[in-house]
Amino acid sequence: MCGIIGYIGYRDAKQVGIDCLKRLEYRGYDSAGISVLDKIQQVYKEVGEIKELEKNLPDIKGNISINHSRWATHGKVTKENAHPHLSTNKKIAIVHNGIIENFRKLKEELITKGYKFTSQTDSEVIAHLIEDNYKGDLEKAVYSALKKIEGYYAILVTSSDEPDKIVGARKDSPLVIGVGDNENFLASDIPAFLKYTNRVIYLNDGEICSISSKDVKIYDSNNNVVERHEDIIKWDFKDAEKSGFAHFMLKEIFDQKDTVTYVIRGRISEIDRKIEFHENVENLLKSELDLINIVACGTSYYAGLVGKYFIEKLTDIPVVVELASEYRYFGPKKENSLVILITQSGETLDTLAALKEAKASGCKTLVITNVIGSSATRLSDSYILTQSGPEIGVAATKTFTAQVITLFLIALKIGLNRNKIGLDEVSKNILELKELPKIVRDVLEKSNDILEIAKQLKNAKSVFFIGRGINYPLALEGALKLKEISYIHAEGFAAGELKHGPFALLTETTPVVAIATKDSTYDKILANIGEVKARGSKVLAIADEADTEIEKHADLVLRYPSNSDLLSCIPIIVILQLLAYHVANLNGCSIDKPRNLAKSVTVE
Amino acid sequence: MKCVILAAGEGKRVHPLTYTRPKVMLPIANKPIIEWNLKNAINAGFKEFIFVVAYKSEMVRNYFGRGEKWGIKIEYINQGEALGTAHAVGMVEKFVGDFVVLSGDTIFGKQDIKNILDNKNCMGLVNVEVAKDYGTVEMKDKNILKIHEKMESPDTNTINAGIYHFNKKIFDYIRKTKKSIRGEYEITDSINMMFKDKKLEGIFLKEWKDVVYPWHLIDANEEILKKIDKKIKGNIEKNTTIKGDVIIGKNTTIMAGSYIEGPVVIGENCKIGPNCYIRAYTSIGNNCHVGNACEVKNSIIMDGTNIPHQNYVGDSVLGQNCNLGAGSKVANLRLDKKNITVVLNGEKVDTKRRKLGVIMGDNVQTGINSMMNVGTTIGNNVFIGPGAFATGEIKPDTIIR
Repeated sequence: MCGIIGYIGYRDAKQVGIDCLKRLEYRGYDSAGISVLDKIQQVYKEVGEIKELEKNLPDIKGNISINHSRWATHGKVTKENAHPHLSTNKKIAIVHNGIIENFRKLKEELITKGYKFTSQTDSEVIAHLIEDNYKGDLEKAVYSALKKIEGYYAILVTSSDEPDKIVGARKDSPLVIGVGDNENFLASDIPAFLKYTNRVIYLNDGEICSISSKDVKIYDSNNNVVERHEDIIKWDFKDAEKSGFAHFMLKEIFDQKDTVTYVIRGRISEIDRKIEFHENVENLLKSELDLINIVACGTSYYAGLVGKYFIEKLTDIPVVVELASEYRYFGPKKENSLVILITQSGETLDTLAALKEAKASGCKTLVITNVIGSSATRLSDSYILTQSGPEIGVAATKTFTAQVITLFLIALKIGLNRNKIGLDEVSKNILELKELPKIVRDVLEKSNDILEIAKQLKNAKSVFFIGRGINYPLALEGALKLKEISYIHAEGFAAGELKHGPFALLTETTPVVAIATKDSTYDKILANIGEVKARGSKVLAIADEADTEIEKHADLVLRYPSNSDLLSCIPIIVILQLLAYHVANLNGCSIDKPRNLAKSVTVE
Repeated sequence: MKCVILAAGEGKRVHPLTYTRPKVMLPIANKPIIEWNLKNAINAGFKEFIFVVAYKSEMVRNYFGRGEKWGIKIEYINQGEALGTAHAVGMVEKFVGDFVVLSGDTIFGKQDIKNILDNKNCMGLVNVEVAKDYGTVEMKDKNILKIHEKMESPDTNTINAGIYHFNKKIFDYIRKTKKSIRGEYEITDSINMMFKDKKLEGIFLKEWKDVVYPWHLIDANEEILKKIDKKIKGNIEKNTTIKGDVIIGKNTTIMAGSYIEGPVVIGENCKIGPNCYIRAYTSIGNNCHVGNACEVKNSIIMDGTNIPHQNYVGDSVLGQNCNLGAGSKVANLRLDKKNITVVLNGEKVDTKRRKLGVIMGDNVQTGINSMMNVGTTIGNNVFIGPGAFATGEIKPDTIIR
């Protein structure tokens, strides 16, 4: 999640740029840069924190700037790869958030024409391409250049030939206009400029805009002028980071409509039917492997259990999932094994200890984390970022789904490497991954239905969650979410295990949440529901939209849109997260900071 | 020449009224403080204004627009963060030549603004009884030598009034200004630096009313109401008594048995009476209702607020859209006749007033026969239950049972 900001007006554009960048820090960053336009493009970049950039900036004057905080997807984290990028004639500067899928082809063409590249990024082609299309009108040049680009982007462009404007455009990446007095802003997100103005104009996909200090022009994808009204942002400055949601957890649950895309960005190629990771990761996944250990704690451990299911389904490698606090002392540490460690913060003490043990024993180590630069990323052989942006709510939500999707990508990659799955299957799975945002959005729209059902669970003393196969770890995670934020006792069970003990606990006042997907065990789970009902317990089933059978068995039903067997886990978990959230909220619990819990567990 | 009005502050010391509006939008005699300044500055000869705004800036913008209604031109500058007066003034550098700048939350008189306008490089001064809460000035003849920060026992009663006539030189010193101990960039620090190269003449002001705490609104309201002339546009029923200077807005009905002692201003679309007693120095906004057997005295009642049945409200400020239950009453005098203290943002403040009722934010509702103690501050959206007793500082969105 890169962050981009453009400023044009009367203030010190350097100061405003840095200030706004800091407010987008939550989107993550590994490097940052700024270009202040004052007759010439004055470009400065730095690897590391925005503070570093600020410290090393000379006193550059000017009232127009474009600014960027980068979270690398293509190319290493270096000064050269940081934005802004300049065109060959150094007149045009661009910042970009997104991915240019056809950049290799464009780059070759531009090099043939004599354009000089200085970075390894996909983004740089945009600068040269705009120069190539420039005939005295920046808006038109941007318009023509974007016609040639495949991928997704939010971009900002300035040119020293037209030093009175910033041109912006977006497709599938966010960009919003902040309307000020004698000044205007463009940014990836509203909190960036909320301090300076609360009047915004939303830009739609495919639109191009041009801002000067006095006015704002918007053009649609056919280059026709669009009139659009301003909206006033009502949330307070201090609530900016919650984007108007009541709790961080709810915001982060809703973030998932985007984060399920962020995590696959730059990693899947629909055309080439490829899964791509960083070179180091690819080497690890290609190597000789007899066993995969997945090691984690809490919610990450449950993501690991889902991952085991994926990897064993799509490859021939056995997977052992271990709790970090156990594995570090007792787990097998074999040489030809890959140990995948999952930690949202990258600082979980038990997981770090397990990582050190695994490395010392000669295992290959791969970390899945959300925090770049964290201890886990530094200690492991390689790491994959979940790219979800900071997660503030103590109960993990968006990082769980991102971890699950990352494990799915790993399973696909290993399956391909070992010829266990074909390109067609990869292609089908990529399409299903691309449908996830829509599916998650459909579930989020049902938040109020889930609230109605939450009202029936809120007074329960104890709630059981059951599922089979991939749904078993979902049952565990659903129970964990409920207990950690609502303080209601909740347990997850493999549905077949109920009769081996837990039945003794079932009473008429113990609701049971049954995950009933239409897979090979569907009949079995219906039978389990029957067993539960026989004890007088109320059953809430989570079922496929197309399932017409389930009403006959369950008392209450929540549905998710059908997509695939493997990825149905994503909408199901979003339902379980919302269920836990609403129950806790109805009970007035401290949702973002549950009692006795911490976000990053750095103690044993 | 442009007149710059500083209007960015939240006014934390005017809580709870400023939870829902910027300080300059607090009403006095049914007009926001900043409008009094705008009118006086227009009368002093200004046609172009810059409002430096920030906190809830849309309320200022929605009220004044571009100044069409006043026949002048208003530009806005968003200060962003409240980093102090020097920072606020520094914002306008690109838009002014010589200029006058004044604090939008202090009321300045027309003649005084004109005097400042007519004197290049000057600042307004005023003599006060207790100077220790203000920046005092050290003078030699007509010129100012230094502005001192608040001192425990200043040796002068002459203070900086918060209105200046600058030329562009000031911006050089603003750029050099460092953060003060308070953590803000203070214009007084910039001015003190400037004294080395350039003198400012001190101009004594005749009219000056600043609002630091909410009860100062009651004083400012009294000052302004003293100068109003009688003007009645509404409908007056038979058997009403209207004494002294009273303004009554259009579509307002004064019903039989109402007894109004001016100076009082009542807005538009109000329903007053029957049988109520409205006493001197009271301002009642638009769309209000003061009903049967109610007495209101020396108070500010904002738009949409109802005092409908058997209520007493004295020496108080009531926010917008409040509703008092039948029999709800406000105490405004301690039985021991001592000064009334108010708890504001958790701290006790001596109001130096023997009479003070309540300071009530917007959208407050009170139940029947509820009681409000002297000096109670009530946050917005508070609900005071039937028969409840409210006292001290009540935070917004709470319920008192």
